[in-house]
Amino acid sequence: MTTTELSSGPTFKIYVAVWMGMVVIAAIEAWLAYMHVSRVTLLATLLVLAVLEAAVALRYFMHLKYEVPLLFWTLIPGLVFAFVMMNQFWADSARMSSLRFPIP
Amino acid sequence: MTAGDVHGAAMEPSPFLIQSKKLTVWLFIVADAATFGAMLFGYGYLRFGSPNWTKPFNFSPSIINAFVMTVILLTSSLTMLGGVAAAREGRRAATMKWLAATVLLGALFATLHLREWVTMFHDGWSLTANPLGGSVLVGATFFSITGLHLLHVICGVVAIIVIAIGFGTGKFTAGHVETTGLYWHFVDLVWMFVFPLVYLLNLR
Repeated sequence: MTTTELSSGPTFKIYVAVWMGMVVIAAIEAWLAYMHVSRVTLLATLLVLAVLEAAVALRYFMHLKYEVPLLFWTLIPGLVFAFVMMNQFWADSARMSSLRFPIP
Repeated sequence: MTAGDVHGAAMEPSPFLIQSKKLTVWLFIVADAATFGAMLFGYGYLRFGSPNWTKPFNFSPSIINAFVMTVILLTSSLTMLGGVAAAREGRRAATMKWLAATVLLGALFATLHLREWVTMFHDGWSLTANPLGGSVLVGATFFSITGLHLLHVICGVVAIIVIAIGFGTGKFTAGHVETTGLYWHFVDLVWMFVFPLVYLLNLR
């Protein structure tokens, strides 16, 4: 097995289709923001759509789909774990001020 | 005995089957993604934890401008892919045209962004000021997140110019074009989160 300088990728037609899909998702996001949905529902929906766009960009534009699976498993789960930890500790930081020792 | 026999273990192929420069860019992207992630998580908690958070963006011009910027950045990713494909096939002139288009789109994105900033400064927004009277964190988080992203766009435009010139003169290879493209797509990917979270969640 040898290293390859360039990864093989899809045809340009597929790139254009992916590009159109991402523009449509961005338009749906903008449309959703003007619908009268609750703040939490809007946030959750926008996050799901953004993650979907990111996954498509990673797979097709950044060619992760065409690399060896080991590259994905080395890079992405660790990053997701870091994000999950941020989600835990940022919230915890909100109560830090109440944990301070009282000034004598 | 040759030098290859002695250093055979050190010269074994990459387990990822990619060149080291591409792996380096991937590692940079992961670290940079954590930076943007930290900023966006921090922004999220401030956004939903501040009772006096104000929403600065109207449909026109802010949201229209941000949507146009989104389409421009997505299109620049497409032209970058065209450049990578042309470079792979050894079509030097076509590569230069695709990369020039990417640079122009990137510059257009930066110009629209800076124009928006100037308008906001004119209206009284800054890192420490909120003309609407609410939390000053609105301007602080907006300019920090979009500023860091804008810095990445400007660096990307400069990098693409350098790589295009190098590829045109034969100094750089198609592999260099691809790794630069990887970075450019990441800049695009980050904007996929900035647009909904920073703009669309702050509609007036």
